[in-house]
Amino acid sequence: MKTNLTVSNITKIYPGCVANSNISLEFKSGKIYALLGENGAGKSTLVKILSGVIQPNEGEIILNNKIIKLNSPIDAKKNKIGMVFQHFNLFETLSVFENLIIDSNETRENLREKIISIMQKYNFSIDLDIPVLNLSAGQKQKVEIVRCLIRNPEVLIMDEPTSVLTEQETSELFSSLKQFSKEGILIIYITHKLKEVMSLCDEVAVMRRGKLVSVSKIIDEKIETLANKMVGQNLKTVKKKISKEGSTEQLIKISNLNFSSEDPFETNLENINFEVNRGECFGIAGISGNGQSELFQVLSGEIISENNSIKLNNYPIGNLNPQQRREYLMAFSPEDRMEQAAIPQMKIFENVALNNFKSSNFFNKGLINEKKIKQHSQKILSDFSVNTDNVELKSQFLSGGNLQKLIIGRELITSPELLICFNPTWGLDVGAINYIHETLIKINEQNKSIILISTDTDELLKLSDKISVIYKGKLSKKMNADEVTSEKLGILMGGGEFD
Amino acid sequence: MIIEINFVGLIIASIMASAVPLILASCGELITERSGVLNLGVEGMMIIGAISGFALMTVTGSLIIAVFGAMLAGVLISTIFAFLTQTLITNHVATGLALTIFGIGISAMIGKNFVGIPGKEFPVLFGNLKDAIPFLSPILFGHSIVFYFAFALPFITNYFLKKTKIGLIVRAVGDSPDSASNQGINVRLVRYLCILYGGAMCGLAGAYLSMIYTPQWIENMTGGRGWIALALVVFSTWNPIKILIGAMIFGGLTIIQFHMQAIGVRIPVQFLTALPYIVTIIVLVVISRDSRKIRLSTPSSLGKSFYKDN
Repeated sequence: MKTNLTVSNITKIYPGCVANSNISLEFKSGKIYALLGENGAGKSTLVKILSGVIQPNEGEIILNNKIIKLNSPIDAKKNKIGMVFQHFNLFETLSVFENLIIDSNETRENLREKIISIMQKYNFSIDLDIPVLNLSAGQKQKVEIVRCLIRNPEVLIMDEPTSVLTEQETSELFSSLKQFSKEGILIIYITHKLKEVMSLCDEVAVMRRGKLVSVSKIIDEKIETLANKMVGQNLKTVKKKISKEGSTEQLIKISNLNFSSEDPFETNLENINFEVNRGECFGIAGISGNGQSELFQVLSGEIISENNSIKLNNYPIGNLNPQQRREYLMAFSPEDRMEQAAIPQMKIFENVALNNFKSSNFFNKGLINEKKIKQHSQKILSDFSVNTDNVELKSQFLSGGNLQKLIIGRELITSPELLICFNPTWGLDVGAINYIHETLIKINEQNKSIILISTDTDELLKLSDKISVIYKGKLSKKMNADEVTSEKLGILMGGGEFD
Repeated sequence: MIIEINFVGLIIASIMASAVPLILASCGELITERSGVLNLGVEGMMIIGAISGFALMTVTGSLIIAVFGAMLAGVLISTIFAFLTQTLITNHVATGLALTIFGIGISAMIGKNFVGIPGKEFPVLFGNLKDAIPFLSPILFGHSIVFYFAFALPFITNYFLKKTKIGLIVRAVGDSPDSASNQGINVRLVRYLCILYGGAMCGLAGAYLSMIYTPQWIENMTGGRGWIALALVVFSTWNPIKILIGAMIFGGLTIIQFHMQAIGVRIPVQFLTALPYIVTIIVLVVISRDSRKIRLSTPSSLGKSFYKDN
C-alpha cells in the first residue's frame, strides 16, 4: 500500500507575521522526508496544520488523492496521521498506560496486549504502570511514538525529536524510524540539525521565514550547502583553540560537595570534586535529569551547601546566596530563560537591573536610576546584537536567541571572573548559537573562566578545555576535551565505562 | 448498658450527619479542581442551594422538586462561573470569590420571606430498624437518602477518577490542558461539565443543611462550611477517601466541643470553637505528607486559565 500526502498552497497568517506562505510539498511512503529550517522558519506551523492543531488560512491537504479537512487533532488521527510533538504531549502525573489509552475506545485489556506487542516488536522496554514523570526524555518519546503506533498510522510526523535525546537514544530512534519507513509508514522529520538530516533522510525541504526555499535529494546535498540554504548566508563555524599549556592558577575548587534532596523527583549529588583554572572552560556533559539542575543551583547559591565545599580564590563561599556570590564576581545563566533568568512580563531594562541590586550606578538610596539602567541596557542591546533597540520592550517579545544574548550581556556587566552557564543555546537557531559560542570563547580569551553545563555534546566539545560527565548525581573523572569524542561521552552519559 | 452503647451510636450518627454537607461539597469541588479549575465559590453555591431547596419545598410542597431544584440552582450559579472563567477567561480566584459574595447576598434577599417558617420532615430510610441492633442501628439506619448518598460518594468519586475513561480524561485535562487539547480532547467542555457537577453537589450540600440537618432557613446558615470543604479538598491532596476522613474529624470535633462546652470544661470557648479547624488541617497534613503522592495527585494546571491559540 502506498501512501501519498500532498500539501498544496498552504498559507497561514498570524497578526504581524506570515508563518507559512504558499507552501506546496509532496510526500510518498517508503521515504523519510526532512523539513529543515531555523527556529521561526515556519516548520512547526506547517506540522501543526498537518496534525489538525491549527487550521490554515488557505491551501489544501491531499491524502491518497483525497482532499482532507483537518479541523482538530481528532481528524488527523482519523486520517491516520500521527504526530510526536517537540514538547511532549504527555500527562506527567498519569501512568504510561493511562497516557496511551486516553484517546482510544478499545477495552483496557485489548489495548494492554496491543501495546505490549508493539513494544516487543520495536524493542522498547518501559514499565507501563509508573507515572510518566519518572521516565527519561528518551522513554517519554517512546511513549509518544507508541501512542501513534497504536493507531496504525500511515503518516508519522516527528517535530524536533532529538533535542532532548542522547547520542545513543538518537541512534536508537533513527533505527526505529528506518524500520517504520520500511514497513510503509511515511515519515516527515522536522529538525534544524543538519547532521541528522544527512544521516537519516532521503529528501529534504528547506524553509526560511515562512517560505519554501528548496526541495532536493539528500545525495545531491552537503552539510554546507544545506546550512547556507537554511540561514540564507554563508556561516563560518567557530572552533575553540585549546591551549595546551593554559593557566595553572586555580579559580574555583569544589570538594566533597554533596546534596540530598527531599523531593523524590530531584537527583542527589554525591561527592562532587573539580576545579577550574583561570581562562578555562570546564564542560559538564550528561543526559538531562542526572543532577545538572541541582548542580547548577548549588553552584549558583540557590541551594546553600557546606561552606568549605565551594572555594573561590581559596575563599569558602558554599553558604553564600546568589546575590552575595555575584559580589565575588560570579555570574549565572540558568537553563530556563523565561522562568529563571528573566521575568517575561518586565521590560528589558528592568530585567537588566534585576541581577544588580547592589550597584550604586543603578540604584541610589533605594530609588531606581532609570536613566543609567537604560543607557546600560542600550549598550548591551548593541554590543550583543540583540534584534531590537527598544529597552522598553517587554522581554517576552524577544525570541529565545535574543533573550539569551540579553541575559549573557547582563551577566557580563560586573565583568565576572566566572560565568556558570546551563544549556545556554538550548532551542536556539544556528545563527544565535554561533553568536553565543563566539561570546563564550571571547570570555575565555580574556582569561576568565566558564563552567558550562550542557546536554549538547557537540557544544561541549567545541567550547570546553576539560570535560566531565555527570551521571546519576556523580561526576566522572576530568578529561581533556581534545582527547575525548562524542561517542566516548555518550557511553559515560549512559552510565557505562570505556577503556 | 445497652442504653449507653446506643448513646455512643447516636453521637457517632450525629457526627456523620454533620459531615454530610462537607463530603458532598468537597467531592463536587474535587472533581472541579481535578479538571484544573479552582472554584472558590463553594460557600456561595451551597447557600444558594440551601435557600433554593427550602423555598421550593415551602412553595411547591414537594421534597423531590426541592432537592433537584437546589441542585439545579447550584448548576445555574456555577454556569455563571464557568462562563466567566472558561469562555471569557477571567481569573479563577477573583471570580470564585465574587461568586461566594453574590451567593450570600442573593440568598439573603430571596430568604427574607422564608425566615421563621418551619421546615418539613424529610423521610428516612430503614426507620423501622432503628432499634434492631444496639449501637449499630442508630449509625446505619433511619437516615435520609442524601445521607447514604454522601457516604457512598467518596468511593464513587474514587472509582470514577481511577477506573473510568471519563475520569481519566478529567485528570488528563487537569494535568496538562495543552496536551489534552492536542490529543483532541475538548478541554473547555470537560471543564464546563466539571464545574457544573461541582455546582450540583454544592447545591445538594446546601439543601441538606436547610431541609434535613436543620430544617429551616437562617440567613448565612452555611456558616463557613463551604470554606472548610475547600480546605478539605486541598489538605486531602485531592483524594476523596481522605476527604471522608477529614470531614468526619471536623464533624466529630464540632459535636464534641459542643458537648464539652455544655459540660462546662474550663477551656476558653473560642479555643474550643477553633479546635475542629486546627485539628482537621493538622491531621490531613500529617496523613498526606508523602511528597511523591502529592505531586502525582495535584492537578498541575489548577487555577490556570486555558485558551487555545489559533
